[in-house]
Amino acid sequence: MLKYLIKRILWMVPILIGISLISFFIMHLAPGDITSNEAAFNPETSEESRQKLRELYNLDKPVIVQYGLWLKRMVKLDFGHSFKSHQKPVFLGTTDKDGNYTKGLIEQALPITLMINLLGLAITLLLAIPLGVLSARKYQQWQDKSITLFNFIGFSIPGFWLSLLLMYWLGVVNDWLPISGLHNLNYEHLDTWGKIKDTASHLVLPVLIPSITGLASITLFVKNGMLDVLHQDYITTARAKGLTEHKVVYTHALRNALLPLITIIGLSIPGLIGGSVISETIFAIDGMGKLFFDAVTSRDFPVVMGILTIGSALTLLGNLIADIAYAWADPRVRRGVARG
Amino acid sequence: MTTLSLLNTPSIKKTLPLIGLLLASLLLTACSNPQNEAVDYSQQFPVADGGTMVDAMIGEPTGLIFMVSGDSASSAITAKIFNSLLTYNGDLDLKGELAENWSISQDQKTITFTLKKNLKWADGKPLTSHDVLFTWQLITNEATRSPYASDFQLVKKAEAPTPLTFTVTYAQAYAPALDSWASLQILPEHLLKGQDIHTTVFARKPIGSHHYQLDDWQQGEHIKLSRNPLAVLGPAHIEHLVTRIIPDKSAQFLELMAGHIDSMGLDPIKYSRVIPARPALKKKLNLYKELGNSYTYLGFNLKRKPFDDVRVRKAINYAIDKQEIIDGVYLGLGINIASPYKPGTRWSNPTLTPYAYNPEKARSLLKEAGFSDSDGDGVLELNGKPFAFEIVTNQNKEREKSAVIIQRRLKEIGIEVRIRAIEWASFISRFINTGDFDVVILGWGLGLDPDQYNIWHSSQQAPGQFNFVGYHNPKVDELLEKGRTEMNPDRRMAIYHDFAKELLEDSPIVYLSAGYGLTAIHKRIQGVADPVPAAGVGYDSHRWYIPQRYRQNQISEH
Repeated sequence: MLKYLIKRILWMVPILIGISLISFFIMHLAPGDITSNEAAFNPETSEESRQKLRELYNLDKPVIVQYGLWLKRMVKLDFGHSFKSHQKPVFLGTTDKDGNYTKGLIEQALPITLMINLLGLAITLLLAIPLGVLSARKYQQWQDKSITLFNFIGFSIPGFWLSLLLMYWLGVVNDWLPISGLHNLNYEHLDTWGKIKDTASHLVLPVLIPSITGLASITLFVKNGMLDVLHQDYITTARAKGLTEHKVVYTHALRNALLPLITIIGLSIPGLIGGSVISETIFAIDGMGKLFFDAVTSRDFPVVMGILTIGSALTLLGNLIADIAYAWADPRVRRGVARG
Repeated sequence: MTTLSLLNTPSIKKTLPLIGLLLASLLLTACSNPQNEAVDYSQQFPVADGGTMVDAMIGEPTGLIFMVSGDSASSAITAKIFNSLLTYNGDLDLKGELAENWSISQDQKTITFTLKKNLKWADGKPLTSHDVLFTWQLITNEATRSPYASDFQLVKKAEAPTPLTFTVTYAQAYAPALDSWASLQILPEHLLKGQDIHTTVFARKPIGSHHYQLDDWQQGEHIKLSRNPLAVLGPAHIEHLVTRIIPDKSAQFLELMAGHIDSMGLDPIKYSRVIPARPALKKKLNLYKELGNSYTYLGFNLKRKPFDDVRVRKAINYAIDKQEIIDGVYLGLGINIASPYKPGTRWSNPTLTPYAYNPEKARSLLKEAGFSDSDGDGVLELNGKPFAFEIVTNQNKEREKSAVIIQRRLKEIGIEVRIRAIEWASFISRFINTGDFDVVILGWGLGLDPDQYNIWHSSQQAPGQFNFVGYHNPKVDELLEKGRTEMNPDRRMAIYHDFAKELLEDSPIVYLSAGYGLTAIHKRIQGVADPVPAAGVGYDSHRWYIPQRYRQNQISEH
């Protein structure tokens, strides 16, 4: 098992380098650089100043040289500074000689996105598992049909449209929830309880809407897993020996039906840290999705590469953890790994 | 297990219809009107200091030193924090800001600014001509990466002989100089000396001299400004200005409807359809309309055939119905222009009239240029080649819609048009800088200074320069050179009237429209100049005030 783990972790290094190389070249395939921004079309600006900027950031050198320079910094885990945001560090914050702390861009955005997405995932699972189980037990009956209908309505409604509608209904027509942002303007004057309440009310819509629209696929997974399991021999055996229906379903069937969920959660890790441009834009949340989108449109290469590298490292790590969790949960897998 | 026991059928049987009901009621109520607010905002109150005004912007400033950040979000904030030597008054004429007055030497090469007495930075330190000299040295420094340096590099010698005098000498008379000194925000020497302008923390914690000073900047959330009691132009009335960062315009509008923000720029649909249709909104919002600062045009690649032929350019100009674009795209909220200057200002030549919509004239001009539909397929040909081209524009809804309207009108006279909309950075690098386009739809600013040397002079055609349409007209070149060295405003005006006339006659671009700037401001903000002065609605925002009765529970004031 340990040998397997070490092997997997060592393999991650060449994979990461490969990913970064491909990302770097694809990024440079798009025309334009940091100087092709809105100021590029202001007649008061000059081409000389743009050229000066290109030279400073080595953008005038061949792509392969630029990649080498980037890799050299990465070896020291130096993610560099943003071209656009006034030399802000890409990943972690830095403190200058006068003790002024400048927060890193990813350091700022990642916790927000992670919090929203983890909460969303928890709510999705909390709803999807019971709904999926019920669907399987009442297969083809009205309960199953209405759950499926509800799920697919949620799945088909465009998230941004539902968001705007709910923002209007809950924030404008009724003054029940804040419309956008993460904090109230007088947040800093609130007491601790007030701060928690304020943040929670700001989070309701950004968390709930993706969980509703994401409900369908997980419910379906649980339902199908459950349907498979419910027809297995050991369930028939359990029923035959006179166990209560409750015990059959929740103790014997559900555990096995939930195994594929581990894979699904493992696969959802890139989404957890990636964030969503559309929802973050609508709700004015300064998260990873918008950071990445803005970095791409302004050709802020260090930020783009920083997010891709951290994202892929976390994804590989997530896959590894999912595999280990699978082995932990399923003895069959464990034996397979030990043999291999 | 607690969640799982939820499944037991009785409870779910009750909840499911409930969820359905909830969803249905949600959809229904969402379409109804918001409740009327109880507060009556129609009363006028006397001027009072205090209160908080909240607005929103779609992007976050990259930093608060404008000479190096250079984006419009930064300038919106720094314009409230820093002063320049000069500024424009309500009628868009230059007046002193930090400068009491200025004089131009006999040989027209030296400008002497006399500063107002007793100027102070917000931290109480005196603001003198040495700060101005320092700012000039900073922007022209080799190590400073300012996109706006070129105007200031023309200064041969800058001096601060006394704390109240600042003189600049140019190698030759440079008329746009005054405008450039109205745009350079003066920075404090005592806080920035010896710092690296690109990494200094000053960009996030600036100290200026204008009406407001930075209080608090929450990354990605809001920027809070507070009144500067030492403001060199006298203190403003409103105590706090908060700018929230809300990237989505629809979300901004919802915040405006809910009364959480006090002002925002509108698009024509919200201005002329959405708000007028809602009495509750009309009751609490004032709408303002001003001539915008830019115009949209259709620009030809003059280096490509057949656009090198003035008859072809004129024909296309006659074939496009500009009023139709203004009505269709801007819902009538724009005007037709005939020169690249704000109508009504001194630089705009009042004798010029835009090309009228005249398809017959267009057809005859094309015929003159040798085009005819020889194979009868409805498309004109020249030497057997059909007249077809591509309009490229960036992803901007208004420009895309204009392109579609133009496409239809040109088809009527036998020209086939394809449209391509491209993301901005790709558009600039792939099409504009390489000169690889037939026709573009883009916009230029209606500059306050008439000098447009960078856009129209034939020497400005290298990649990355702004005469990318490739315009070359010796007469225009001469006028632009003359206009740059003529300091007398009246003689300068005559030069630019001639320039605009020549430009209209030559038709290197088709002026499509100049859209209005549309703003909604909550009625609790009083003292807003109406009618809006030429300089725009926000021009005298330091005179705005919020009566005590209309101050909401926004930010507790300390």
